[in-house]
Amino acid sequence: MENRAYNYAIVRSFVTWSVIWGLVAVLVGVIVSLQMVEPDLNFPPYLTFGRLRPIHTNAGIYGWGVGVIFATFLYIVQRLCKTPLWSDKLAKFQLWFFNATIIASAVTLLLGYTTSKEYHEMEWPIDVMIVILWVAFAINIVMTILKRKDEQMYISLWYMLAAIIGVAILFTVNAAAVPASLFKSYSAYAGTNDANVEWWFGHNAVAMALTAPPLAMFYYFLPKTTGVPIYSHRLSITAFWSLIFMYLWTGAHHLLWTPVPDWIQTLAMGFSVMLIAPSWGSVFNGYLSMNGQWHQMRENYLVKYLILGITFYGLQTLQGPMQAIRTFSAFIHYTDWVPAHIHMGTMGWVSMISFASIYFLIPRIYGREVYSIPLANLQFWLILVGQLIWSISLWIAGVLQAGMWNAMNPDGSLTYTFMETMVEMYPYWWARVFGGLIYMAGLVVFIYNLYMTVSKGKPLATQTASVEGRA
Amino acid sequence: MDLGSLLYLGVTFGLFVIFVLIVMRTYSRKRKDEGEIAKYRMLDDD
Repeated sequence: MENRAYNYAIVRSFVTWSVIWGLVAVLVGVIVSLQMVEPDLNFPPYLTFGRLRPIHTNAGIYGWGVGVIFATFLYIVQRLCKTPLWSDKLAKFQLWFFNATIIASAVTLLLGYTTSKEYHEMEWPIDVMIVILWVAFAINIVMTILKRKDEQMYISLWYMLAAIIGVAILFTVNAAAVPASLFKSYSAYAGTNDANVEWWFGHNAVAMALTAPPLAMFYYFLPKTTGVPIYSHRLSITAFWSLIFMYLWTGAHHLLWTPVPDWIQTLAMGFSVMLIAPSWGSVFNGYLSMNGQWHQMRENYLVKYLILGITFYGLQTLQGPMQAIRTFSAFIHYTDWVPAHIHMGTMGWVSMISFASIYFLIPRIYGREVYSIPLANLQFWLILVGQLIWSISLWIAGVLQAGMWNAMNPDGSLTYTFMETMVEMYPYWWARVFGGLIYMAGLVVFIYNLYMTVSKGKPLATQTASVEGRA
Repeated sequence: MDLGSLLYLGVTFGLFVIFVLIVMRTYSRKRKDEGEIAKYRMLDDD
């Protein structure tokens, strides 16, 4: 085999750091879920729910999610383009700047510096760091794609480019602000416009950071794992362009029944429902790729992760449009149903694909067999059960909450006080803590398995020279 | 509806037309085989 001297050292580093930030995200998530049921566990001013919750979400999305994106994209782009990275130095800079940005974000959030915009809480100096980081990443990926050996680009490369361009546009537009001091700025937009831009960013960050990249990974790692090509490349391309066309109009479904113009809400609702088509285009492509290969669900643990992952994507993209319909939104919005929805996406879809991707990568970038497949199977069941307990308990809680908020006496007064609805939530919030702990146990098993693979795993029989990497 | 709203909808429609053209090109009979080459080639990157 030709040794193209691929840079796997950088992939190893990003895998390591993404897993570390993933553990931080889940650990802080469990802590904030405990703070919901035991308010005495809030220790002002730093360790309160208000300050820890954005650390949980940002560590999850940007530390774990984006960390895995960096690791897998830097691997996939070299393999699909059959050429080494454009710049190893830039990739190394990206690694350390990534960690510096995550640490700076965590510290400033802990100190209480926040824009108060969900998923974009960091103040303007951190925004500048994020832009530098993303530009470094984008240059390396785009330049590597430009020197590819095959003219036609595989679908994963399309999703990677979309993620890079999409995040860049969304983040920069939403970050527009007027700095008042080193850690205080005011949004460039006012009132309703600010809300509209924020949720245009917020919802499409889900599209471009938590949908396009996992799809890039899924389309790459599923055929690599099963050994057979995807069902249809043309279907994947059609689903890709329709997803790109439809997603960007849907953000305003977060603002139904608000002062945002009615026609924008209707447009967002319509496009959200239409979005089922491209989403399920990818789901069906995944399922049809398994034709004649379903036995691998039993025999190959990676296939189990990937197919459950795409199944959660399918469920997520049915539930999401349902929530975007005005009448259902009126009932369910602002209840605990919503975090249950997003956690099915993050703990089910994104993380399942990420775990599978890392399990696929580890033997190839370290030249060692995975230490224990039974442990990988144990982890699968722990994260699956943990996530289901988490989401199902809060779906029930959300419906109950909505029912109690809407209940009225014959004279038109509310049947329940807000406090009564809160008290009713406690059993479900305890179930969430329990589900989170099971999920975290799965993550600990994952980290143990990775550590043992790297330190004591058997060397691969057919280790390639390129496994050693360069950097 | 003001000019800004019409522009918003106009851009939406314009992108829809581009999307339709991409789908027509992807599924044109002439490009049937070419459109599926990438899924086989990606398996040979080892």
